[in-house]
Amino acid sequence: MKKKRVIVTRRDFIRGSAGAALGAALLGPAWLKAEAKAAGGQRSLVVIVRDAKAMDANLSVDKQAVASMLEQALAQVTGKADARAAWLSLVKPTDIVGLVPTPHLNPTHDQLIEVVRESLVAAGVPSGHIVHAQGRDVDLAPITALICLPALKAHWLTGIGTVIKNYILYSGAPRNYHHQDSAKLGEIWNLPQVKGKTRLVLVDALHPLCDKGPQPDPRYKWAYNGLIASLDPVAVDAVGLKIISAKREALRGEPWPISPPPICIEAADKVYKLGNSDPAKIDIKVFGWKENLLV
Amino acid sequence: MNPEKAILPETVGAWKAAAAPRKIDAGNIFDYMNGAGELYLAYHFDHMLAWEYRDGSDNDLLVELYRMQGSDDAFGLLSLDWGGEAVAWPHGAKIIPSSAAVPPARALYGEGLLRLWSDDLYARVMAVRETPAAREAILVLAQAIVAGRSDPPPPALLRLLPTVLNPQWKLKIDRSAFIRSHLVLNSLYYLSHDNILGLDSSCEAVFTSYEKEGRRLHLLVIQYADDRSAEQGLAGFLAGYIPEGAKGGPATPPAELGFFLVEDGWLGFHKAGRRLAVVFQCPDLDAARRIVAQVGLEN
Repeated sequence: MKKKRVIVTRRDFIRGSAGAALGAALLGPAWLKAEAKAAGGQRSLVVIVRDAKAMDANLSVDKQAVASMLEQALAQVTGKADARAAWLSLVKPTDIVGLVPTPHLNPTHDQLIEVVRESLVAAGVPSGHIVHAQGRDVDLAPITALICLPALKAHWLTGIGTVIKNYILYSGAPRNYHHQDSAKLGEIWNLPQVKGKTRLVLVDALHPLCDKGPQPDPRYKWAYNGLIASLDPVAVDAVGLKIISAKREALRGEPWPISPPPICIEAADKVYKLGNSDPAKIDIKVFGWKENLLV
Repeated sequence: MNPEKAILPETVGAWKAAAAPRKIDAGNIFDYMNGAGELYLAYHFDHMLAWEYRDGSDNDLLVELYRMQGSDDAFGLLSLDWGGEAVAWPHGAKIIPSSAAVPPARALYGEGLLRLWSDDLYARVMAVRETPAAREAILVLAQAIVAGRSDPPPPALLRLLPTVLNPQWKLKIDRSAFIRSHLVLNSLYYLSHDNILGLDSSCEAVFTSYEKEGRRLHLLVIQYADDRSAEQGLAGFLAGYIPEGAKGGPATPPAELGFFLVEDGWLGFHKAGRRLAVVFQCPDLDAARRIVAQVGLEN
């Protein structure tokens, strides 16, 4: 018998049944199994560190300020006393550490990549063990640890294009993960060459983008001056989504939901078991500048 | 002769063109835009030329000229966002409305980005950082782009949008957009990741919003290539979006007028020939009936 095709619509999102509809539409029996196991689970911690002076009026980044923010984020996420101890709880000096920034639309600031590299070296990871790991041609086999370093941004095809989407080029076929299939982005994190390697997610929220694309539009970028860190990639995306959604509403002075809805976040949680998307299971700790926090 | 060759000056203010423009077409747009070329391909895209201008201080200017296959397509790209300051040439010239259904602007500037529609061209001119000098240079470049070009009117389909829907629903002209693709529709108003309306490059469609006392409703008018395509589009919409309303099998043409109470209000549709109008989020059945009746699909 021919299987009936499930179509997910706006009505599913309004009813709150979109997750189930998406799961059934895209993943069939895998979704049902995942649903059965979904109850319970651990809480996730997301740390936001902000400094009003991280960028100046010309949007030039103060590298020292970012380094201090990184140190605080690392300590808070890991519960360690300082950056060195924090890094060494996440990686070993023998690890080959791949840094995975975002190259397009709203690129990760070079200064953040530099301070992460310098901080890792200061913690005892040899400079030669730290490699750039973004792109479809990256050989992931020798890389034993990944630091996910995307910039916070909305995306016109997938709703949000920050953490879960950051590994899309590892799939070798990024176009297969747009539109409805963006729900499957989480499966890339479970590819054998990727799974279990991500030690830290550190989102560059210095100058996020809350709308449009495929090219940047400066009207939708703003100085948030923040870093968002977590060990849970889904929770960081969920918090980033909250920030972007609040900024959109503030810009228009009326509800302005992200469209299309970012279905990859819920699927990353419920189907691919990468972390928590439910705000009720996410603890957010905020440090530093509190103005226009948006969470 | 390459028609774009002489459009742009070698220098503008402190900026100098870095090299010959890079040509982007349907074959390499995904490389240029990191896999997100669908926006331009969702309209009738021919090619794009990209210039970089440098001033030696890292405040580069990027000029992108999108050559579309018609004026409606270039208009469609601009219509996706009516935000920004309207610009006209010569500086300060009065902007003359060409349609009551959309803002009169043909060029919009905001925070270092200028977007413009000029006949079959859609252009983006952007500075890395907005400065007074960069803004001036952007406006000079934009003026060079539009110089001597004609200004066709917006797509004719916009004429079907009433400016006021009885009783007193006012058209939000800054929400009126011309589209051809469900991907673009979803970026404005999410219906479904599936292409349930059967939109494609042979379609013309306008999407807009109306407001009354702080409440919104939304109107989509589609002109399909032919009656048969419209029939299939409506059938797909009913099956995908209102399965409770999709009666009969594939061989049974759907009713051409219908109203349904769904989760976010009353939905009404009306098909006439190759045109289909769908109104979303009406407060009551009476409003849905009256609004659908006011969209002159037969015009």
